[in-house]
Amino acid sequence: MRSKAYGLLYILLSVAAVLVVLKVFNWLPTMFQKDMMRRYNSVDEVQSKLNIRELRIPAYFPQSIMWPPSEILAQGKPYPAVLMIFKDVRTKAITLVISQGTSDAFSANTLVPFVQVTRKVPFDLKTRKAILEVGSCKDDEPCSRLSWSEKNFRTVITMKSPPFELIRIAESMLE
Amino acid sequence: MSISTFFGSLAGMYVAQSFCHSLVASVLMDQALRAWNVNDPAIKQRFRLTVVLYPIFSFPFYQAINPARGNALFRLNALFDFNRWLNMNLWGGVSFGHLFLIVLAITSLIFLFQEMIPILRHTLESRTMEHEGASREPDPFIESASRALSIDTPRILIAEDDELHIFSTTGKNAIIVVSTGLAETLTPDEMHAALAHEIAHIARGRRPLVLAAFFLRMILFFNPVALVEFRRVVRNEEKICDDIAVSLTHRPEALAEALKKFYAVSETPEPDVKPKPLFTPVPLEEYSYNIQLDGRIERLVQDPQRSTGGQWFLLASVFLIVACINYFIV
Repeated sequence: MRSKAYGLLYILLSVAAVLVVLKVFNWLPTMFQKDMMRRYNSVDEVQSKLNIRELRIPAYFPQSIMWPPSEILAQGKPYPAVLMIFKDVRTKAITLVISQGTSDAFSANTLVPFVQVTRKVPFDLKTRKAILEVGSCKDDEPCSRLSWSEKNFRTVITMKSPPFELIRIAESMLE
Repeated sequence: MSISTFFGSLAGMYVAQSFCHSLVASVLMDQALRAWNVNDPAIKQRFRLTVVLYPIFSFPFYQAINPARGNALFRLNALFDFNRWLNMNLWGGVSFGHLFLIVLAITSLIFLFQEMIPILRHTLESRTMEHEGASREPDPFIESASRALSIDTPRILIAEDDELHIFSTTGKNAIIVVSTGLAETLTPDEMHAALAHEIAHIARGRRPLVLAAFFLRMILFFNPVALVEFRRVVRNEEKICDDIAVSLTHRPEALAEALKKFYAVSETPEPDVKPKPLFTPVPLEEYSYNIQLDGRIERLVQDPQRSTGGQWFLLASVFLIVACINYFIV
């Protein structure tokens, strides 16, 4: 009985040690490389610290969306990328996600996941060739996504709403 | 394709995460075996098999229950994000991810040349080879041992060879081949112990757990942790067959003595070979084989305590802890 208790204590200490080691090893790279993915307090801070000139901010937001973004994640390496997450004023759920990055590997589609895409059409967004997707998210909520590339930067805007507000937000980014 | 693009893809995430998951599983399973002082090789083998097989399914399973695991927000809040290391620039254009890929490539080559090709060659040879040698006289011990393990009595062939060899083939008509060198070296008790060990292999070959594990483990051919753990599984198999042999002969010291004779041969330098320089490394395979024999002899002499049960609960508990931790490792 006593040896079993010691065994239990030993394994609990081992688990604690593994968790601490993982946390330390997760933190270590941020000491060596300052511009890897991390949280930022404002868009200005991202622009000043990472010097991402191509970053575009919408000038228009529907009143149902909280400003400033609830999360701003950005990185300079291995490639510049910024992710802005906006919540609904009333429900506090994620309702709008804007991702901008130089790699196709960077995408935030899983933050507002589509259950079904009903229409996927080319869309002229102020002379840019964009793709507009319309469909539904969880609980049959209407969802839409607009994506386009400009220079090396790929922008994807996903919103839990029909496409009308989404298009207005996107157009306001290009003014 | 750049390193960051590869490790951002599903295939890259599978490679990176299965490595991390197997590493965490290996460390915690090892600690659990130590914590509860588990000596039974059959129990140890279950723990090791868990480490080999679980990472094959962990990543797809976690992604299925939460597809958002791969996104930047989840990664930022994760317990450990391996991509931070993989994308870290070391010097010039070389990142830690490049070094990791080299490790994976070396592991894949070791798997190919030390596991895959020898096993394929052995399988092909055992299908086509006619085993030659004189049949050994019927032995009541072999018949009773085979009955005890519910298998047909295997044929025993004596092959003309001065080296010490004994091996068995599985399948419908199992055969045990013993070299004349071995037959002359071992006492009757030691020979019974060695034959009982081979009969145990034949009996366990009917439940091809290790073989099934090997076929599944091939998916993780690139994973160095899976490579090491699978070798431990195979070593445990030898110890399990030792235990079965002892249960049949009731003479652990006879099997220990037989193994010592193998050990003595592998330690004795060949007379016509020049002595090796002092710092010439012993070939890894040979070193590993000797360590294994040494360990097997030691535990037979010490007669370790057998498991008292309840180990399934222990295995399930540790597995749950491992699975929970690994969910937050991306």
